[in-house]
Amino acid sequence: MSAKPIPVPAEGKRLDWHLSHPYSARHVAIALLLLAVILVTGHRTEMDRMVVMTGEAAGNLLGLNDDSQVVRGLSRVASAMWPPVIASQEEVGRLPELNRDRLPAFARIEVQERVVQTLNHETLQLESATSQVEYLVNPLGYLWTVLVKMLETLEIAIWGTLLSVALSIPLAYYAARNYSPNRATYTMARGTISLLRSAPELIVALFLVLAYGFGPIAGVLALGLHAAGFLGKFYAEDIENADKKPQEALEAIGAGKVKTLWYGVMPQVAPQYIAYTLYILDRNLRMATVIGLVGAGGIGQELKGRFDMFQYGHVATILLAIFLAVFLLDQFSARLRARLM
Amino acid sequence: MIRFDCISKVWPDGTQALRDISLHVPRGQFCVILGPSGAGKSTLLRAVNGLMQPSSGTVSIDGVALTTASERALRKRIAMIHQHFNLTNRMTVAANVLAGLLPAVTTLRALSGWFSPEQRARACRLLDQVGLSPAHLQRRAGDLSGGQQQRVGIARAFMLDPEVVLADEPVASLDPKISRDILSLIRDAARERNASVLCSLHQIDLAREFGDRIIGMRDGKVVFDGTPAELSDQRVEALYQGAQWEDQEPANPAPMPDQLAAAC
Repeated sequence: MSAKPIPVPAEGKRLDWHLSHPYSARHVAIALLLLAVILVTGHRTEMDRMVVMTGEAAGNLLGLNDDSQVVRGLSRVASAMWPPVIASQEEVGRLPELNRDRLPAFARIEVQERVVQTLNHETLQLESATSQVEYLVNPLGYLWTVLVKMLETLEIAIWGTLLSVALSIPLAYYAARNYSPNRATYTMARGTISLLRSAPELIVALFLVLAYGFGPIAGVLALGLHAAGFLGKFYAEDIENADKKPQEALEAIGAGKVKTLWYGVMPQVAPQYIAYTLYILDRNLRMATVIGLVGAGGIGQELKGRFDMFQYGHVATILLAIFLAVFLLDQFSARLRARLM
Repeated sequence: MIRFDCISKVWPDGTQALRDISLHVPRGQFCVILGPSGAGKSTLLRAVNGLMQPSSGTVSIDGVALTTASERALRKRIAMIHQHFNLTNRMTVAANVLAGLLPAVTTLRALSGWFSPEQRARACRLLDQVGLSPAHLQRRAGDLSGGQQQRVGIARAFMLDPEVVLADEPVASLDPKISRDILSLIRDAARERNASVLCSLHQIDLAREFGDRIIGMRDGKVVFDGTPAELSDQRVEALYQGAQWEDQEPANPAPMPDQLAAAC
């Protein structure tokens, strides 16, 4: 249709056939240059030291050498994290509303000895005093707390995804070259997308926490804005690359842009849309745990608190919960994708 | 009905696709356009519904010139049937046929897909007419065979009772038996509505069988315009083999409509 045929040469004319090699010395030179650049940056990013240290660690595990910094560090962390804490305990003295006859389910009261160092005002010496402290112990209490926080994180991820989908659909329409009303809207939409994509969630969350305070609002907005840029770009490119034939058919009868998009493009690109959106949901779940570190709600906030208090047993429980959640979401989205395609 | 006045088209790279074409296609005529690949058949069809903007000249329908302002309204009355069917493959047959109503329904109705009972009944009636069964309604269009897809394409084209049907090589990728069926469907549906058909074809036998009138095109020019009876084998050969048409012209002058003689 629009493809112009290569003109047929006049008969009898001698044609100059020449088929050269697919690559030349120039390509080899470029490849060598790239290799040199990679080697230099590899040294600057300590990749050589990484290889040496990993080798040492492997040797240490096989019993070939005595000491490895990597193994030492990892085993220290691992022993501190084991076993994961799933019980919660709280001082009874701090729970004025506790009814001793009706404890919460599974909970019990334990008495532990606590050594307190006090300063004797007369002798000005430190004295150790042993006191009996009652604790309310809930064997699954901390696990429950972590699960609730994880659910909150998942909710943040879901709302971040909804927000990004809602924002990205108009963005994609204006950022698709063949649907954008004019050059100005196209440039503006592309600019907005680049802007949103270029700002990392963690940094956006940092600022949004200042604006909206600690909690999930900042988290949802940070995830939604960043992912809107990502989805807008990919949706727009899908719209641009969609099969032109059905669009031409609808354009020919004067269906108008929005209806053409809905009937001629959307059904064709829907599988990719769903795939991108599920990827964003997956990514948002992982990012939601991270942005909690700066106070934007969810399990990250809990993680940061426990990490700062050196409670690595609690950290282990949180990490396991995150791993499990990501794994389950992955299974779920794989199934959903298989059903929808 | 359809009037081409001195239509020319030069592509940006300088290729001249159409050269001063003037034609008049009366209401209800089945007009076949024949010619080798690259003769400008598709380009000419596209001028009718504004998919291609001619470099000069005008196309008018019932005396209304096709301009950017009138295009939207005129396009509703012009249906198009495509060589590659141009269905939305991942959408159901029913939705593809209903998409033929898009220019005439509100955006809300289109986006929600909530068509009225009459509109849905109409889609069913047309699908029945083109020889599909209720079992096809919810199938994905892309899963159908080529012939069936073209049937869906025809049903879609007739949803708005067009006055002009443009068929751009509607049977180029179909076998001879199915080609004949498809062309019969187009002809019958068009007759029922007294619609004019402009149909580009590659098969001379089909052109002779279905055309009320045959237009031969070569290098962007109309080189033959007459009834199937007037299209002799010799002329066909000249049309495709590249012999200079003008050389043979005096021996057996084809009746040229006066529009052709009009100076551009």
